[in-house]
Amino acid sequence: MKFNFHVSPSIKSPLSTQAIMRDLTIGLGFIFTIACVYYGAAFGMEYAVHAITLLISSLIAMVVCEAGFAKIMKKDIKTSLLNSFGWVTSIILVMMVPITMTNYAIIVATVFAIVFGKLLFGGFGQNIFNPAAVGRAVIMASFANVSAKLVTSATPTAEMANTYHWLPSANEFGSFVSGFKGFSSLFIGTYVGSIGEQFTILLLIVGVILAIRQVIDWRTTVTYLGTIVIMTAVIALITGLGSYHGIPAILWYPALHIVTGGVVYGGVFMLTDPVTSPTSASGRVIFAMGAAMITVTIRLCGNLPEGCLYSILIMNMLTPMIESFLDGKQLEIKKKVQKCTICLGIIALGLCFFCAKSAQPKEETAYIPAAQQEVI
Amino acid sequence: MSLFLGAMRHHIPGRKELTEHVEVKKLLPAKEVYIPLIHGNNTAFDILVEEGSEVKVGTKLAQTKAGLHVPIYSSVSGTYKGVAKRMHNSLRPQQHMVIELDGKQEAIQSFEPKNFEELTREECVAVIKEAGIVGLGGAGFPTHVKYGKVDGVDTILINAVECEPYITADYKMIFDNCEDLILGCRIMKKMGDVATVYICIKESHPDLIEFVKQKCPAGSGIEVRPVPDVYPMGWERVLVREVLKKEYGMLPSEAGAIVGNASTAIAIARAFTKGMPITEKYITISGEAIKNPATVCVPVGMVASEIIAACGGYTEDSVRIIAGGPMMGRTIVNDQFVVDRAMNAITVLKHQPDNAIACLRCGRCSDHCPSGLQPVRITAAVKAGNVEEMEKRGAMSCIECGLCTYICPSKIDVTENVRKAKRTLMLKKKK
Repeated sequence: MKFNFHVSPSIKSPLSTQAIMRDLTIGLGFIFTIACVYYGAAFGMEYAVHAITLLISSLIAMVVCEAGFAKIMKKDIKTSLLNSFGWVTSIILVMMVPITMTNYAIIVATVFAIVFGKLLFGGFGQNIFNPAAVGRAVIMASFANVSAKLVTSATPTAEMANTYHWLPSANEFGSFVSGFKGFSSLFIGTYVGSIGEQFTILLLIVGVILAIRQVIDWRTTVTYLGTIVIMTAVIALITGLGSYHGIPAILWYPALHIVTGGVVYGGVFMLTDPVTSPTSASGRVIFAMGAAMITVTIRLCGNLPEGCLYSILIMNMLTPMIESFLDGKQLEIKKKVQKCTICLGIIALGLCFFCAKSAQPKEETAYIPAAQQEVI
Repeated sequence: MSLFLGAMRHHIPGRKELTEHVEVKKLLPAKEVYIPLIHGNNTAFDILVEEGSEVKVGTKLAQTKAGLHVPIYSSVSGTYKGVAKRMHNSLRPQQHMVIELDGKQEAIQSFEPKNFEELTREECVAVIKEAGIVGLGGAGFPTHVKYGKVDGVDTILINAVECEPYITADYKMIFDNCEDLILGCRIMKKMGDVATVYICIKESHPDLIEFVKQKCPAGSGIEVRPVPDVYPMGWERVLVREVLKKEYGMLPSEAGAIVGNASTAIAIARAFTKGMPITEKYITISGEAIKNPATVCVPVGMVASEIIAACGGYTEDSVRIIAGGPMMGRTIVNDQFVVDRAMNAITVLKHQPDNAIACLRCGRCSDHCPSGLQPVRITAAVKAGNVEEMEKRGAMSCIECGLCTYICPSKIDVTENVRKAKRTLMLKKKK
């Protein structure tokens, strides 16, 4: 008979981090499968095979990095691999790149994501930046011109950014939409984009399921997408965009922002990464609001086609600050949080005016290097 | 659940079905009881009986030397054999009074019964002070203090929630002593000078809710209030938040409420009608590693191993034996400790390794903390050794309910980290 000591409480809930990561992997895997099916059906089998090769390259690079690091740190390789959840980073990274990406580029990006994005910070749970976002930024900075021998058409994000500067008039919106076989195909995702992030409706459905299963926090996604919708609606009002087939601009313009580019993907799978976002509910709301404001600003005023990636990295950087700002008892700081949110709302409104002013459709298309065209 | 705050509570599977419909067993020790001489941190007692003298059920054995007046009564009839040092559920060896049973269980009145209807509010409070009634929810807060000043108090909440998993002691005791419970409520209503008394019972006990509802006299201002089956619903702050939708600083009276335990109400009723103190306890012996889980009725001071043997013994070789429920109870490394007045369960679980992994920073601990603390941030302060931050992050408001450890998907003992912060802060205060 052995009586063991254990600090109270002596029971633990059945929910485990492993189960959370499993659900996340299933969600991501499902979307990846659909993407492979779509590319296979629309462009030919070699496209689907290429997508799978990209994922396998990334996974192998991830395993080599993790195992090597475990060896150096003299830890058991199998448990380190299992408890580090590197495959989630790999899948998220692969799904963020366009189908034309080369295996070489994805391997280098994975090495940067895993080693510099995560392991050097102390491994899972210690990293400041979202590792997948770090990997994507590496590709954006170093491999933007590389392309596998696959031919695709322009992505809606690139066209929206280069031709219309994210502020098309109602007529331009019409021609943009018809260029991609109508709004519904933009919403469903039957166009060429980044492998995972084009399937807006699917991403939203998977996001709802993951939120119900408490794998991701609904606050982050809802606040992020909500703030983008409100800000773009305000911009539509300020710039006086006309209605499109009877749909007023405050509806079609935010919808355009949601279905084009990576905000839904970023909001569901990347901002919600618990490791790199604040731990408290109020912190996550402020975090997501900040990210939304940066996304809209970069889209409309920045020199980049898309703002989602950098908004995530910038807000990752501010996470420790948000956390220490919100330290203390949550009931006692409730007033402070409310005031802070209202302040952020006012700043967001100000940004709307700034964006609307500086992002007026220009006559001449500014030169945007090809290096930045294929960005989330 | 709101945008800025988490749920601040969580449903935990109660496993009450193990003992809910099992008949209550009345047990008597084979030979001796050991009555612990401890109340809270106070271990200085005057012993009032001679070694070798006969005692009866209800004989006053000892009382505290200083501080709070707490009398200790015999739970059995027999012979007092002196004091012995043995393991106590405070995890330290303590003095226990050894009484050899004669098996007759003859009782005497410890004090004179009173009819509360003939007494004024102040006289009623004086009676329970004299009887040494303390809160039986675990903290042992003297009941008469709560009723000292009742200005602004308009509700009394009777806590019959029993939110800890496995425990059915209150559930069974209320079924057996419902008249006493109602009488206790009436006395409390008079002492608190309030219009309404809510008896709070979990929604997951519809049979008990129905039973108590029928016994509540119509128009008496005593009502049953079903509450959701979440943990820690039985903590007075959560109970006040749920029933009255109010927050308070230090004491529930700031929110216009007095919270008392159901077993305390029954104890008050007994003190008035029979002049008897608490001599026997309903104890739930449950858990996966017990052969025949049951709720038992035993005298205070009975040894745990005897009770467990009466419940069929252990089913596993490596167990955790917990004095209390699995959330807040302490594991004890032998089964020789005795039943104390504030104990309501012994839980025996299979020992399993935790397999903790790195913190995911998911914030579930912060979302569920009923005190609204951020355990993950307090843990960070503990790891950094930053005493100032531990204080700022409110570590001292932790009641160690254990929900943060329970909810942690990485299986980290979060509560233990907060406890470390509390210990550090208390050491600093002493300096």
